[in-house]
Amino acid sequence: MNWRGLRHSLVTRLVGMSLLLLLAVQLAGFAVVRASIERNVRAQIARELDTDERVWRRLLEQKAEQLRQGSALLAADYGFRSAVSSDDMQTIESALENHGARIGAAVTALLDTGLTVRVVSSPSGSMLQLPETLAQVVPALAAQPEGSQVAVVNGLPHQFVMVPLRAPLVIGWVLMGFPVGQPMAQEMRQLLALDVAVRVGDGRGGHSVPVSTLPPAALARLRAAPNGVQEIATAGGTLLVRSSALSVLGTPSEALLLRSVDELVAPYRQLQWLLAVITAAGVLLFALGSSAVARRVTTPLRALLAATRRLSMGNYAVAMEHTERSDEVGDLARSFDHMRVDIARQQNEIRDLAYRDRLTGVPNRERFRAAVMDALRADPVPGHCLAVLVLDLDRFKHVNDVLGYAFGDRLLQAVAGRLQPMMSTPGDMLARHGGNEFALLLHVADAQAALRVADRIARSFETPIRFDDQTVDLSASMGIALWPDHAVDADMLINRAEIAMYGAKRRLTAALLYDPALDSSSAQTLSLLGDLRRAVEQGELRLYLQPKVGLQPAEGVAAEALLRWQHPQRGLVPPMEFIPFAEQTGFVRQLTRWVFEQVTILLARPEVRAIGLRVSVNLSTRDLLDPELNLRLGAILARYQVPAAQICLEITESAIMDDPQRAEAMLNRLAQQGFKLSIDDFGTGYSSLAYLRRLPVHELKIDKSFVMGMQSAEGDAMIVRSTIDLAHNLGLTVVAEGVETAEVLAYLRELSCDEAQGYYISRPVPVPEFLAWQARQPTGGIAP
Amino acid sequence: MHPACCARAAYRALLVALAASAGAAWAATVQVDVRDGAGKPVEGAVVFLESAEAQRAARPLPGIEMAQEHKRFVPGVLAVTTGTEVHFPNHDAVRHHVYSFSPAKKFELKLYSGTPANPVRFDTPGVVVLGCNIHDQMVAWILVVDTPYFAHSGPAGRVQLDGVPAGAYRLRTWHPGLPVGAAALAQPLSVGPAPASAAVVLTGLTP
Repeated sequence: MNWRGLRHSLVTRLVGMSLLLLLAVQLAGFAVVRASIERNVRAQIARELDTDERVWRRLLEQKAEQLRQGSALLAADYGFRSAVSSDDMQTIESALENHGARIGAAVTALLDTGLTVRVVSSPSGSMLQLPETLAQVVPALAAQPEGSQVAVVNGLPHQFVMVPLRAPLVIGWVLMGFPVGQPMAQEMRQLLALDVAVRVGDGRGGHSVPVSTLPPAALARLRAAPNGVQEIATAGGTLLVRSSALSVLGTPSEALLLRSVDELVAPYRQLQWLLAVITAAGVLLFALGSSAVARRVTTPLRALLAATRRLSMGNYAVAMEHTERSDEVGDLARSFDHMRVDIARQQNEIRDLAYRDRLTGVPNRERFRAAVMDALRADPVPGHCLAVLVLDLDRFKHVNDVLGYAFGDRLLQAVAGRLQPMMSTPGDMLARHGGNEFALLLHVADAQAALRVADRIARSFETPIRFDDQTVDLSASMGIALWPDHAVDADMLINRAEIAMYGAKRRLTAALLYDPALDSSSAQTLSLLGDLRRAVEQGELRLYLQPKVGLQPAEGVAAEALLRWQHPQRGLVPPMEFIPFAEQTGFVRQLTRWVFEQVTILLARPEVRAIGLRVSVNLSTRDLLDPELNLRLGAILARYQVPAAQICLEITESAIMDDPQRAEAMLNRLAQQGFKLSIDDFGTGYSSLAYLRRLPVHELKIDKSFVMGMQSAEGDAMIVRSTIDLAHNLGLTVVAEGVETAEVLAYLRELSCDEAQGYYISRPVPVPEFLAWQARQPTGGIAP
Repeated sequence: MHPACCARAAYRALLVALAASAGAAWAATVQVDVRDGAGKPVEGAVVFLESAEAQRAARPLPGIEMAQEHKRFVPGVLAVTTGTEVHFPNHDAVRHHVYSFSPAKKFELKLYSGTPANPVRFDTPGVVVLGCNIHDQMVAWILVVDTPYFAHSGPAGRVQLDGVPAGAYRLRTWHPGLPVGAAALAQPLSVGPAPASAAVVLTGLTP
């Protein structure tokens, strides 16, 4: 879920839901209030109409009473009674007219005791002949003289009253009629502020509205409305209608009392508007408030989300926010923070386990690699570079084998302790790289500084380590690679430091700076490897032989086979430029085989067979570690019918010491095959004579460094002499290399050295030259 | 009806009868039983006998009064012979305005108190309805008859006429409950030397 999604889901949902609920409640309330107002208003109007109807009835009664009083006044008039008694028609008529006019009666009449109309007076003259409908009214009035009756006359309801005329007994009746007309309606309207209409049926289902206080439009609506209508809708609003029957007899008529709903609702409407405004304001405030609250929840949630993301990326350093809050969010934040701290601690423990060497307590290879990466990532100090120094203890396997693993472990711990002080700059690191290999990350100014560190280490190793009664001499090979000079990344840097270390081990030097020539994987070496392959295939290799001469009377002729590379462009390539490389890449085995085959071919030649030549062939460590070496060599010898005794295999002391057990096994097999075996460069390695004695070796070759120093350094002469004596005591022959002067040769002869080899005798030369040289030599002797 | 008045009227009737009997050889008593349509006795009816002889024998009565007491006419029904002068003494503190629109005698005595100086003389036989113009509820009847033989029915609806000479009469019965302007009920009655009796049924009475 992203930020937007979170915001969407929580804030919107919280706020939206609340708002919807609020709105729903408000709308429901609004609807209820509205309905309630409508209902109440209608009920109120109904009550008002009840009152209106009573008032209307009362008004009618008042009118009737007024009429009755007028009639009674007339009936009580002595003169009128006298006129009636005397049948003075003219007087009667004028009296009726006079009294009728006095109270505004539409009609005044005198009826005899049989209720027959005797005299009628009508101011408008329209009712001189009372219609038939009146015949129904009069008996009802006579039966109830205190009441009144309404009947429709000429389309307009009239109210009639009748009072007896007494003299003093009833001698007749005075009838008066009064229109229920516009003035009455207006009076009602003025009294009660309601509209009044009078509707008269026409007896055929239709009706007319002769009296109305309504505006014309509403009146038209009313005219169009059917009988019994309860409400009519007009442009001015809804009018509730109350019908009050007027005439019981004859043509039906009714008074309609109308009240407007809207007039009464209007004030409530204003209240409703106010309520709506308050609701809107409330919703707005609520929305603001709840979104603020929701944000107060979601903001920490977002912070927590960011924090968990940091945690998942392994960043435990940033403390959680919002932990100071006292609510649930605060609880959550605090809980998260505890989790962060715990995870960080556990992570550290795990990392410690993963990145620390248990034995020595220093960082392990992984940690070291990470540290190098970090160091490379960090801005390098100008003028400074990074150095990785890889240190490998020499002969550690041997120590382990001889003194036991527990001792080996203690030795490693002690080495770690000695290396620890070599770190001087913050950021430097010592790590155990596995086995007997240590690595140092150093911040140094240049290669010389790195080499100085290596020198310090070498000096510190000069002090032997002593455990219990055991004393062990320490020696180590160190390789140094620099960044950015030798590598672009951490792995390459470490790798090349290791390559340099192996180089140092091969060259028996304490420390070596990385050189691409050492590196089988570098672009230069790759091309060199390709060149070497081509050299083998295209016959660019040359076999050279360096003669060995016997200093004591001996049989046969001897030489050392040496390899030369006739490069098409570079000319003759010196062995030092490709042999170490070939050893490193393993290609040396092809070279060895090539040399061996060439030597075999040479020895198979009849003229060579004739001189009984013995040739020494150098074997490298790689050759010695090839478990099928003896078979391969045997196959070649068999192919050319050459006896193994004619070939001496030279093995350097260090090649044997790389894996003494396997070397010993292979040497035994080779010896059984009949090869002569020679220890090359004797004196530079660390092999003990006791060990050498176990080997099926026939010859020792004293290293040329001793031989060349014999004349100047007494020590070297002593070594040579001791070695010769020792070898002879062990039954070995001795060969001295590097004989460059006649004096040395004479001295060696004096020391009973068996054979000598060197520039004084002959440089390495191609086979034809060697054969020519050989031919020049006196048999059994040696040229000066 | 005032008992004293009745007694006095009976007494006068007796005097008339005695006077008539002086000229006649025989005189008898007539008894009339007045009942309404439902058979109930009718009180206050005036029964009188008409004939030519009786008309001749009739004389105005002296000292007859229609007094007003407590805003009422006393007596309510007064029967007098033709030519009788009736006094209208007012015993009330208020004034009265007595009038009659009846054809038998129209008159009015305008607002007065005490007894007007001149009595009202009733010359024409018939029913005279009296009213007061001031007090509508006051009503009284004066029945002017052309015979000396008349009497009011008592509570039992009985009327006794004494000293009636033998002869053929019209027995007439009137009651104020009869419709206004209605004539008195008439039925023939022959009176011999022996006492006679008759039954009258008055229908259409208003209570």
